[in-house]
Amino acid sequence: MLEYLRQAVFAFLLLAGLFIQVTAVIGVNRFRFSVNRLHPAGMADTLGLLLMALAAVVYAGFSPVTLKILLIVALFWITSPVCSHLIARLVRETDEKHFEAEAKEWKP
Amino acid sequence: MMKKQKNDRFASFLDWLENGGNALDEEMQDALREEEPEAPGKQKREKKKKSSDKTADIAKKPRKAYADSWWYRLLAFAVAAALIWLLMEAVDRMPRFGAADTLMDSELTEFYVEHTKEETGAMNIVTGIILNYRGFDTLGETHVLFIAVCTVLLMLSIYGEQDEKKRLAQGALERYFEPHHDVILQSAARLLTPLILIFGLYIIANGHLSPGGGFSGGAVLGAGLILYQNAFEYRKIEKFFTYKTFKWVSVCSLLFYSLAKGYHFFTGANHLDSHISIGTPGNILSGGLLLPLNFVVGCVVACTMYALFTMFRKGEF
Repeated sequence: MLEYLRQAVFAFLLLAGLFIQVTAVIGVNRFRFSVNRLHPAGMADTLGLLLMALAAVVYAGFSPVTLKILLIVALFWITSPVCSHLIARLVRETDEKHFEAEAKEWKP
Repeated sequence: MMKKQKNDRFASFLDWLENGGNALDEEMQDALREEEPEAPGKQKREKKKKSSDKTADIAKKPRKAYADSWWYRLLAFAVAAALIWLLMEAVDRMPRFGAADTLMDSELTEFYVEHTKEETGAMNIVTGIILNYRGFDTLGETHVLFIAVCTVLLMLSIYGEQDEKKRLAQGALERYFEPHHDVILQSAARLLTPLILIFGLYIIANGHLSPGGGFSGGAVLGAGLILYQNAFEYRKIEKFFTYKTFKWVSVCSLLFYSLAKGYHFFTGANHLDSHISIGTPGNILSGGLLLPLNFVVGCVVACTMYALFTMFRKGEF
């Protein structure tokens, strides 16, 4: 029974992670403006990666490898938002004309 | 508000120059002013001229028709699908990982698996092969990296020596548009750089014991240096890493590699005792020449990565 539960949790986490990643890929391709594209791209690196890593942890069971996987997640959580921030900043500083035009065009 | 910012940007750059932002002399400022974009009215006129050109129209039209037509998209999809199918087929035909009949017909593989540990003292057979059995090949690879940096240096030095001031001015311009005092990036770099550098050193030092070695560890070290340089500008990294450092570290590493490998080959070919003990395989200090050679290769790779990164920016090293 417990084994089935574990498998179910694993499947749920993996599918959720896959869903986030697929959403991110679609979003990156569908959005037209680079700052809009940052939103799904950043989501894949943080939430999607966390769910996939947790799925791996649940599947393999708790061991020293678990710590390594969580370390990967921690490193990505530090670096990915910084990358998004830098890209957004670069867009703002260098692509002002485009920035302005797209901001007008954008409708909620 | 955006428009105002954009118009003010070059003016604010000039202000920064005049306030002695980087202690530029007047001639350098003059060189920079020459690079100033022309007045917007003039640019517009030029654009109109260009659009009336027949050649520009011809060049523009078919390109747009290409990318929008349905058969172009279909063809792109077909090419991508064919490529994916080809690659998946190739992967499918590879021998299974860990299968009993994988490469067992090769005598060389058997020889390496049986003798690497006792002959070179390396637990990691790959390192034993690339730095001992095929050390000469790796020597060439390391030199290729150095030659690549030299070539890039030759190609990218557009202004050359006779126009030193213009080159420095370009560098100052490039520096101005980089993120300055970015607190988010700086705090991330402050946290990550030591970890990255220690991890790189660990990979290099454990090259003969576990997967890794000079090339991968050197790449990690170079990435750490690049991150630090991005966050804290040139001036901070210039305290310990300049063009001179790069030159000396690279050349000394390559010289040491050549001499050590030459000595090793000379004694080995003449059946002489090289006085380099292999030690007990599994210890950090074992494997004879493997550990110093890994460090040397790591130094060259790290310097190359960092130098290639810095050279693609204009201005000083």
